[in-house]
Amino acid sequence: MNVSLCRDDATYAAGGFLKASWRVSRVKLEELSSVEVSVLWYTEGKGDEDLSVHYFRRYDTAQLRHLGIESHQPIECRLPPSPLSYRGHLLKIQWGIRVRVFVEEGREVVAEHPFYLIARKPEPVVFAETLMAELAQVPIPAKQPLHRRLPAVIQRWRGRAGRVS
Amino acid sequence: MFVFTLVVVAQWMMPRIGLELPDEARLVLDSDLARGGGHQWGRWIVALLSLASIVSGTIGLGYRLMHLGFSQERISAQKGLLSRLGAGSAIARNKPSNAQGETENDVDSELVGDPHTVDDYPQLPSVPRAPALDESPGERLRYRLASVSSGHSSVFGAAWLALMWNSVCVVLLAVAISGWWYNRPRPVLAMLLVPFSGVAVWSLKSFLRQVRGIAGVGSTVVEISDHPLEPGGTYRLFVMQMGRMRLRSLRVELVCEEESFFRQGTDVRSDQHVALSKELLAESPVRVDPQAHWEQQLEFELPANVMHSFSATNNSVRWRLVVSGEARPWPSFCRSFPLVVHPPLMVPPNSPR
Repeated sequence: MNVSLCRDDATYAAGGFLKASWRVSRVKLEELSSVEVSVLWYTEGKGDEDLSVHYFRRYDTAQLRHLGIESHQPIECRLPPSPLSYRGHLLKIQWGIRVRVFVEEGREVVAEHPFYLIARKPEPVVFAETLMAELAQVPIPAKQPLHRRLPAVIQRWRGRAGRVS
Repeated sequence: MFVFTLVVVAQWMMPRIGLELPDEARLVLDSDLARGGGHQWGRWIVALLSLASIVSGTIGLGYRLMHLGFSQERISAQKGLLSRLGAGSAIARNKPSNAQGETENDVDSELVGDPHTVDDYPQLPSVPRAPALDESPGERLRYRLASVSSGHSSVFGAAWLALMWNSVCVVLLAVAISGWWYNRPRPVLAMLLVPFSGVAVWSLKSFLRQVRGIAGVGSTVVEISDHPLEPGGTYRLFVMQMGRMRLRSLRVELVCEEESFFRQGTDVRSDQHVALSKELLAESPVRVDPQAHWEQQLEFELPANVMHSFSATNNSVRWRLVVSGEARPWPSFCRSFPLVVHPPLMVPPNSPR
């Protein structure tokens, strides 16, 4: 099984979109009973485990036959604003994509790809229309061409050379 | 099932059939349980209680059978879907057509968390809701924080122990004195009375100390400029201590605490760990008068890289302000005021004004 994320650093902003894909290989389609794909968080640590599924999709045999397991299947969901990933002393909040494959005879195989959910970055400041109009009226000083700036530059260099000697 | 059958057979079937039963069977059918204690409504109550047990057991068994072979994620997703349906039905009362249609589609395809459905997250999942601070505006600052009462229930335990132990001691003392009075001394009882009296005095002292701790220390008022809090934000705080006392020291701390519950055998145990403790104010000595309350206004900054408040079934991250005072002759006190810290940039605008 292969789960791949759209971001190399596996870090997503809270409230943002998650795009990923999964694929099952080296297993015959006839052997598969169903596949469950979930985006979830769970706790690790001293306390009993808490788990909450944010995105869940179950594919039965007919759906898997229709999709074809050889190709990458997309996962797309909007992440919630909380809880953020956390690594504390007693508990750890871990986000991940979990793919559970049910094979015939009741056996199941699980693959998981963890990722980090971090606080949303501040959005760029949007100026009001009036402020934008005022800013447009502010005269921007034009950059002087080099041949006009050249005497002043030479004078500055001479001054520095005199101080050094 | 047995009790329900017994009541039905004894009260409704046997009088109609008129069957001759052996004595052993008649003894069972005439028992108090089958007759409901002989009271007029007794058999109905017994029948209803046994029927309720049968129904709850059947529902529990059906639920477990329905989820047999389900993965942990699937059960959790169904629970989430049910809660969303509950929330959706509340929304559907306002918007009958749209919301119901979406939820039905979700159930059919077993898809939870569809990216195409618009969800503005009015609530933050797993973040506890701020208490109803909108209804308790402060006098100096915007919100007045509610205190968590601690130790009030233990005073009843101490009172019960002191009352019972002292009553027993008084009775035993009376018996011992009457023995001396009527020339039938009981030396063993008299010797036992010495440690018994010691425990009695200790329990009475403990009770009085707890009463003094509750009644002697005046109330503490804490107000804050904004709530819920956001990491990196700056907030103003107003603290007021009432009563009449001299404190050796008074401290105000901002505390972040992790709490975990775990099972050990059949017991449920908990463990706490202070993840962050920031002293906001420390003053000593402090004198509090009924005419001049001790009050202080301060400003503090919540660190930027801290965890928001988190609450799940077995684990939680809690924030609180702790006001503690060390006093003589009054006992020291410690009062905590829960806070809610939201993830950054997620604070909804609200104001009590």
